[in-house]
Amino acid sequence: MIKVIDLCKSFGKLEVLKGINLEVKKGEVVVIIGASGSGKSTLLRCINLLELPQKGQVFIDDIAITDPSVDINRVRQQVGMVFQHFNLFPHMNALENVTLAPLKVKKEERAAAEELAKQLLIKVGLADKIYEYPRRLSGGQQQRVAIARALAMQPKVMLFDEPTSALDPEMIKEVLNVMRQLALEGMTMVVVTHEMGFAREVADRVIFIDEGRIVEENSPERLFNEPRHPRTRDFLSKIL
Amino acid sequence: MDIVWNNLGAFLQGASVTVRISAVAVCFGLIIGSIFGLMRISGSVILRSIAGVYVEAIRGTPLMVQLLYIYFGLPQIGVILPPFTAAAIALSINSGAYVAEIVRAGIQSIDKGQMESARSLGMTYMQAMRYIILPQAFRRIIPPLVNEFIMLIKDSSLLSVIGVIELTRTGQRISGATYNVFHVFTAVAVIYFIMTFSLSKFMGYLERRWQIND
Repeated sequence: MIKVIDLCKSFGKLEVLKGINLEVKKGEVVVIIGASGSGKSTLLRCINLLELPQKGQVFIDDIAITDPSVDINRVRQQVGMVFQHFNLFPHMNALENVTLAPLKVKKEERAAAEELAKQLLIKVGLADKIYEYPRRLSGGQQQRVAIARALAMQPKVMLFDEPTSALDPEMIKEVLNVMRQLALEGMTMVVVTHEMGFAREVADRVIFIDEGRIVEENSPERLFNEPRHPRTRDFLSKIL
Repeated sequence: MDIVWNNLGAFLQGASVTVRISAVAVCFGLIIGSIFGLMRISGSVILRSIAGVYVEAIRGTPLMVQLLYIYFGLPQIGVILPPFTAAAIALSINSGAYVAEIVRAGIQSIDKGQMESARSLGMTYMQAMRYIILPQAFRRIIPPLVNEFIMLIKDSSLLSVIGVIELTRTGQRISGATYNVFHVFTAVAVIYFIMTFSLSKFMGYLERRWQIND
């Protein structure tokens, strides 16, 4: 589903990614962990080309999206992204946030788009907030609208960039529950997070990134219980 | 005070010229300013430079000089314009430069995450601008735009020097004929104030109606 080959990304002189190789299969849930500044968010943002890598290739469904001739807008329609700061559109209510892209990008019928949007908002537990504006929603509610908004494009892959890092503790759970549900339904997911409980329970594979390189990857049990690399051990000892 | 009532027709005539020319300049200033404001933040170096030169050149020279240049200077190279047209062009070009900066600042004040989330949904740059960035920027630039329009109304008094019979010129003519500057220019000032104050109240109303929901 996703294939990343020898990906390198620098910001000016700062090398953030130093040759990343990664493959994510259909239906797989991959969690990326690592210290801040390790490059994990940048990797995620390269997968839908919010950042342009200097070197390397990214394939989504065997399409090389790093090829300049590819219509990136089409590719992005299949790759949903959820951001740390939700980034809901503040001038639109929840329903409008969710229906905008299906209406304008996919040119769907309004009735069909609204029907799907309402189903999604109900699914993420916001049946009573459909016409609410973002500023009147809590952080957890906003993030769940953002997830519904991404799902409304019916993507093949969902990318989560620290989706709970800006939330108060009591709201983290409601967002993780929605993500857990998605994983159960077989969505292909790449999640950057500091929620080790979620990684342990939901991930098929955990990847530890340090200084722009993948240091270790394994099933969650193996990686958390018997990390092989000293860097991984060091990182885990600090956060667990 | 009789002098004001006796010349009420002329005052209103002058005020109407001021309003009309300001309205024209506001419209074209908005159009020019939006285009150049977008050029200022475009990816193309050429567009950015053109807009940069325009803004800096207009902002860096007096309106009076621009006015004299267009009305008295251009005829020398064969471009002869009637006073009202010359005045409207000068005011529009002048205002456009300030509006361009307001538009640019307004767009750049919108959080980067808005563009990113719009693009991540598959929208093109233009779609993201149209549905996400500009509607938010627009609400945010209303207060500085009001300020600019008020300045523009007041600046239009300079047009008197090229013979446009707007409000200030009307005042000069009446006071010249009657030797009563005090009352005439009190009336002129009051009329300007009524115009700018109503504009500011009206825009305040719009601002409350379109209040942003964040």
